[in-house]
Amino acid sequence: MSTRDDTGHRSLADQLRSWSDDRLAGLLTARPDLTTPAPHDFGQLASRATVRASLARALDTLTRLELSVLDALVVAGQTTPADVRSIIHARPAAVDATLARLLDLALVWESRGGLRAVSGTADALGTGPGASGLRPRSPEALAPAEVTRRLAELSPAARALLDHVAEHGGEATSGSARLTVLPADAATPAEELVSRRLLVPKPGSPGVVQLPGEVGIALRGGHTTREPVDEVPPLATAERSADLVDKVAAGAAFELVRRVELLLDHWGSHPPGVLRSGGLAVRDLKAVTTLLAVDQPTAALVVETCAAAGLLSARADVTGDQVWVPTDAFDTWLDEPPAARWVTLVRAWLASSRLPALVGTRDETGKTRNALAPELASYSMPESRAGTLAALATMPAGVVLAATTGLPSLVEQVAWHRPRRPRSRTQQVAWTLTESAALGVSGLDGLASYARALVDGGDPEPGLAALLPQPVDHVLIQADLTAVAPGPLESALARQLQLVADVESRGGATTYRFTPASVRRALDVGWTAVELHDFLATVSRTPVPQPLTYLVDDTVRTFGSVRVGAAESFLRADDEAALSELLHHPKARGLGLRRIAPTVIVSSTPVDVLLPRLRELGAAPVLEAADGTVQVTRPDVLRARVPRERGASAKSVRESARVAAVVAAVRSGDRATSTRPLAPATPLTPSGALAALREAIEVGATVLIGYVDNQGVSSDRVVDPISIEGGSLTAHDHRADDVRAFAVHRITTVQQVPPG
Amino acid sequence: MTDGPLIVQSDKTLLLEIDHDQAAECRKAIAPFAELERSPEHVHTYRLTPLGLWNARAAGHDAEQVVDTLLTYSRYAVPHALLVDVAETMARYGRLRLEKHPVHGLVLASTDRPVLEEVLRAKKIAGMLGARIDDDTVAVHASERGNLKQALLKLGWPAEDFAGYVDGEAHAISLDESEWTLRAYQREAAESFWHGGSGVVVLPCGAGKTLVGAAAMAHAQATTLILVTNTVSARQWKDELVRRTSLTEDEIGEYSGTVKEIRPVTIATYQVMTTKRGGVYRHLELLDARDWGLIVYDEVHLLPAPIFRMTANLQARRRIGLTATLVREDGREGDVFSLIGPKRYDAPWKDIESQGYIAPADCVEVRVTLPQSERLTYATAEPEERYRLASCTHEKVQVVRDLVAQHPGQPTLVIGQYIDQLDELADKLDAPVIKGETPVRERQRLFDAFRSGEVGLLVVSKVANFSIDLPSAEVAIQVSGSFGSRQEEAQRLGRLLRPKEDGKSAHFYTIVSRDTVDADFAQNRQRFLAEQGYAYRIVDAEDLPA
Repeated sequence: MSTRDDTGHRSLADQLRSWSDDRLAGLLTARPDLTTPAPHDFGQLASRATVRASLARALDTLTRLELSVLDALVVAGQTTPADVRSIIHARPAAVDATLARLLDLALVWESRGGLRAVSGTADALGTGPGASGLRPRSPEALAPAEVTRRLAELSPAARALLDHVAEHGGEATSGSARLTVLPADAATPAEELVSRRLLVPKPGSPGVVQLPGEVGIALRGGHTTREPVDEVPPLATAERSADLVDKVAAGAAFELVRRVELLLDHWGSHPPGVLRSGGLAVRDLKAVTTLLAVDQPTAALVVETCAAAGLLSARADVTGDQVWVPTDAFDTWLDEPPAARWVTLVRAWLASSRLPALVGTRDETGKTRNALAPELASYSMPESRAGTLAALATMPAGVVLAATTGLPSLVEQVAWHRPRRPRSRTQQVAWTLTESAALGVSGLDGLASYARALVDGGDPEPGLAALLPQPVDHVLIQADLTAVAPGPLESALARQLQLVADVESRGGATTYRFTPASVRRALDVGWTAVELHDFLATVSRTPVPQPLTYLVDDTVRTFGSVRVGAAESFLRADDEAALSELLHHPKARGLGLRRIAPTVIVSSTPVDVLLPRLRELGAAPVLEAADGTVQVTRPDVLRARVPRERGASAKSVRESARVAAVVAAVRSGDRATSTRPLAPATPLTPSGALAALREAIEVGATVLIGYVDNQGVSSDRVVDPISIEGGSLTAHDHRADDVRAFAVHRITTVQQVPPG
Repeated sequence: MTDGPLIVQSDKTLLLEIDHDQAAECRKAIAPFAELERSPEHVHTYRLTPLGLWNARAAGHDAEQVVDTLLTYSRYAVPHALLVDVAETMARYGRLRLEKHPVHGLVLASTDRPVLEEVLRAKKIAGMLGARIDDDTVAVHASERGNLKQALLKLGWPAEDFAGYVDGEAHAISLDESEWTLRAYQREAAESFWHGGSGVVVLPCGAGKTLVGAAAMAHAQATTLILVTNTVSARQWKDELVRRTSLTEDEIGEYSGTVKEIRPVTIATYQVMTTKRGGVYRHLELLDARDWGLIVYDEVHLLPAPIFRMTANLQARRRIGLTATLVREDGREGDVFSLIGPKRYDAPWKDIESQGYIAPADCVEVRVTLPQSERLTYATAEPEERYRLASCTHEKVQVVRDLVAQHPGQPTLVIGQYIDQLDELADKLDAPVIKGETPVRERQRLFDAFRSGEVGLLVVSKVANFSIDLPSAEVAIQVSGSFGSRQEEAQRLGRLLRPKEDGKSAHFYTIVSRDTVDADFAQNRQRFLAEQGYAYRIVDAEDLPA
């Protein structure tokens, strides 16, 4: 099918048709919008690739160099690679590579006349980044040498005029200048320029002249731009020991993991509500800042990261209100080692389009933006994050961003790679830098060694794991009833300790305090004194101090000295023998009696059942009220309330109206049935129906129509047609006793109804 | 990762593992800016507070040093937010300075105009300032020097006071070191104070704070006003000064409820200073009676609120505060900082103890079980009565007897809160009792007898808590106290911490009733002891050897 010959392809579609499947797949991966919906053929694919929206989207992913090359092609029109190389202010190798990429993206194709940008590129580039502002070359362009020669001939005034035009949009009005003069006859600077074809009349705009591309290139020293376009702006950097960077970053990374665990653990039992608008209330975010001892932006970042990583989600609580709770992914997350947990969180952050930095700021209407609010997202955020980290990764280890100039230079470099979008890039890059520091991706404005793996697709986990505090399996217990774990405790141990003691201070280490209440908490869940002592002895590296041993024993001593149970009723008597007698009465077995003191018996039977049963057993019990007084009861005599009648007259009027309507409906329905022919009526053609209806209008007859309503239900109606207009029949419907409109095309049959 | 001894927590506590090789070195490095919160046996807890950081700043340390110290000794990564916070907090001190202006007198000057603007807009401060002199300077009413410092601290912009001090009326004072010598830490404390101008010296009870005061007076060479807690303490100060310095009895005046002498060195009690008659403080003129060159505040943590107000007017005079603890039960540490001055010297108790200047103590809590009848009374008593009922149980009497019997021949103090209980104890133990109503002369006599060994057992109420030097006491038995005050515990322990000649350890017993509020309060006190590094034991009364 290939129509390729020595000079290129007939069309973009042809070119695409000639590509291998792999190359096509590459194109579709790079420009995913081309695949939805799947194009029918290459013609459609090619045309879709040149649609303005698709072009704009493709251009958004280009670097400044790529945009400049594309722009040069627009200026040059159809041309050869060698020509492109010559007019771009960049190294030839870079230009070739760029051209290859642009070809792969189907932004440039090889026509029979040479390379050309797809149509619409000029519009899509507009005056945005990468556009040189030059006009396309004129069709029969002068050779560069000739342009240079003519420029040299100009008078200073003409040259100044030309420069002015070139700097101000490349267009001017010709004014009184004659457009057809020879260089020798030129009287004004403008005529000098026009006569030498350094300015040419703009086609279709009388009185306007423009600077052709080749002249613009010559004015800019032979290139479309004065500045080289293949130089990536450098980062402003400073030296900082790589160890220190890693230490600071790993510290933040550890904190992140710890904070997420703390927060979600807390929210698992005390979930905050979901706002009607979908976010987290300001009050709840404030509570997070207190819980985590961080400032509000960090709190928002932690919350958003949890949600992005799928560890936090909204669901209805028992009362049906929406609340934010940890997901079951949180439980599996907890089982992983800290470094792996961090990787999960940070990968989610990288891919997330959320804008945590906007939390707490006010929108245009003055409303505070809430964390987790659905609208806090930007599609360009993941790209900005990736771009920023990639830029940071270009710095070798031991080099960080300079204190004040670092951020602007970083923004500039990221902008070089993606000049067109997004508009809020400066902000997004700055946010990324702050967030990456808070998350432990970077430290002291330098990328942590382990975080490089995030950029180049490796696994950061081993690198980070080596930097995190090693889990410890012991604590130091002290006489002031505190225990200090001098590092992160092993997970199981930490949970046990949290049960037995209260956490006082968290961080790299954890301080626990033993109190009678905390020890009781352990007893409540079934620990015994022996187990507690054993646990403390094994977990403590130092001898368990005597006051703690004493505390445990003392708490055990008072534990359970008061017992609580459930009973429906109680019996008490000063006469112990009477109670014993009751308790041992053979018929009392079903009453669930249990003696809890010589003079008190409790029962699992409710009082109103118990009382008559006891009387049956021959006892003479009296009922005691809540305050201990004796209550005298007699059987209740039952009475019902007199039913209240509604006003009879109103009711009967309403009733009769309803009955009348039913009758009308039934009667008309009946008529429909009675007039129904034995054989089913043959469906009418629309014209037949029209004719029958018009006839009925003429004669004022009642007809039975078969009608299919909006829901597709077919029914028979008895109607008196009134008029027919615009495909709609207006008729009096007997069943509804009202004038209705019927669509003619839905009328299936029309039959005369005998009057009566 | 370094293997340092310090763990920096994000909640601004520092945990120092003291068994670590570098622990001693690290403690020295962090002591200037971190406040020791607890010092139990394995891990000491320090806290970074704004006051602590400002204290350090006042002592000439800068944020970089602090951050560097934290990074050097930290075992794990130091939370970044904390480092930022340290730098910011420390930068707040000294942005505003109180200075002497040759023309306008006392002025508030700033190197940071927005800060000055911020404080000028504060309502509380408006009345204390005079005319704006230029963009960075504003006049201050001389009388408001103290109030202004207090208010600025509350705003979070503590001012550095460069306005200097009046020299006061010169008076020759020197230490008479013929029979003794000033200990190294006492000398260091006095010098730190003198270089700082004004401030507080923190030393444990029994570490010789009086001598630090005397050394400060020797530096000042000027008339001195000494404010102490009570009359007995005033007499002790007088005795000590006569013994240790060139001052003679005639040069030292006592200004108390009974005697009103104003001499070059005058010792006044807090009580007389705060006595009001007809709604006015009658003895305020004492503060202006002479041109004092130095004012010594004994037991700063007890300084009553009216004295703070008076002190606000004394900012032009040098002030030294002496105390065992900066912890104030009323939380007015900030006032001490702004009105008397920053902490100039601090030494951990255990350090001084290990140097042998104060006696080690063996702390024991003895738990008694209330008899059934008393338990019933206790259970049904009004909440405000419960503490008295629990702490005055008769069970305690027997335990006290047993304990006294355990330490025959050792000078013993029985300390309590309730007079009835003390009287009963005195009666059962056949020992003299000192309480509030005991005349000063009688108290003096009994204390002297106790010191000389004539009386071996003394029952005392809380009048003995403060500043009465009973160096010979070897055993203290505490039967009741005022609701678990940490400060009281420090004082009572202090009674026993005076160095013993033979290096014997002191015994400190607390008797509490189990399962009552008494035991709950006791927990507070124990915690304080444990946090100070004193291991203690709990024993049941039944387990005591009879």
